[in-house]
Amino acid sequence: MDIQEYISSGIIESYVLGLASPEEIAEFEKMCALYPELVAARTKFELSIEKQAFENAVIPPAGRKEKIWSAIQKVTPRSSSKIVTMQAGRARSNGLRWFAAASVILFLLTAWLAYSFYNKNRQLQTKIDNNDTTINELQAKINEMARGEKIMHDPDVMVVNMVGLKGSSSSANVYWDSTSTNVYMVVKNMPKLPSDKQYQLWALIGSNPVDLGLFDLPESSNVILKMKNTQKADAFAITIENRGNTGGPDLGQLQSMGKAKL
Amino acid sequence: MSNNTRYSEQELVSQLLQQNDQAFSYLYDNYSPALFGVINQIISNKEIAAEVLQDVFVNIWKKIGLYDDTKGRLFTWMLNIARNAAIDKLRSRSYQDSLKNQPLAENVNTITANSAANPLQNDIGLRKQVGKLKEEYRVLIDLSYYQGFTHEEISKILNLPLGTVKTRIRSALTQLRTMI
Repeated sequence: MDIQEYISSGIIESYVLGLASPEEIAEFEKMCALYPELVAARTKFELSIEKQAFENAVIPPAGRKEKIWSAIQKVTPRSSSKIVTMQAGRARSNGLRWFAAASVILFLLTAWLAYSFYNKNRQLQTKIDNNDTTINELQAKINEMARGEKIMHDPDVMVVNMVGLKGSSSSANVYWDSTSTNVYMVVKNMPKLPSDKQYQLWALIGSNPVDLGLFDLPESSNVILKMKNTQKADAFAITIENRGNTGGPDLGQLQSMGKAKL
Repeated sequence: MSNNTRYSEQELVSQLLQQNDQAFSYLYDNYSPALFGVINQIISNKEIAAEVLQDVFVNIWKKIGLYDDTKGRLFTWMLNIARNAAIDKLRSRSYQDSLKNQPLAENVNTITANSAANPLQNDIGLRKQVGKLKEEYRVLIDLSYYQGFTHEEISKILNLPLGTVKTRIRSALTQLRTMI
């Protein structure tokens, strides 16, 4: 719609003078919200009508002001609850509007806070999980070291130094607790094996080899391997066997030996 | 009840909302002559016009909470209350009965005769300007603005198509604007 055409259509005069239809009024008020120039033209016409009315003012009969004032006080007695209610109503409706606006702001703020707290919480949870893992790993290491420490300093535990045979550089320590019959082993220096081979520890009782367990090379020399228990042992031997060997020792592959000195 | 304060329309409205008696005094002192003039253009009898003025001020006092300054100036709002109150009085049985020497406005002839036969009304303010419009426009503004007939009623009274009534009133109003 051409706003200038609308302004000069006579709608402003119809509206201001109260001659517009309800549809025209609704449209005009909508247009006023969109076009400041329409409001300006409306105000201009209103002022000209106002000026006209003031220029043609007629003083009302004397005493009418007091009559009107007493009529007003009759319809709205100043101390009656009606006035209070009206004022409270307005105040409340204003208050409600503020309250509604505040509620929306509060809601958005809360939502934002909840979201950022949720994110922060998730980050912290991940950190805590990571820290827990680290703590568990460290705890396991500490336990292992403590256990190693205990074993190595236990007077009941015999340390058997396994010496490499036939030029093998393999060396390891077997810790044998003759009271509890527990057997532990710490690998000091043993060559890596192909993936289908494993080392196997034997207890030699007389000339009989007794299986004390297959093992792979641990990742570090601090690891204490728990082997099978034995009540007796004259000596210990380590052989290289096929992975998962269930048979006897391949003594041709004997790597190191150590004599138990009881 | 008098004071020397000057209120802006906005201040006056907020004072009226607080039902401040000084605000009433200010409102009456500043606006009653202009509004009384407007009422006089429709109701020539001063005593009856003064009763209408009283209704107008009581209504302004009661309805000030409904005034919305985005829709127009305070005076425009009060002016329309005054015009409507005057037209209501004009159409009331009691007013018609009081015009003992004049017939009831039952058809277009008597209505237009009524207006034409009252030089006091036609001689003041906006109505004087309306009197300067060409006859077909003057009658339309007279019937709609000063006697409060709807476009539909005017269409029947003047036996004109509704569209013509609307277009002519718009044209009359734009012409009126150039005159004031």
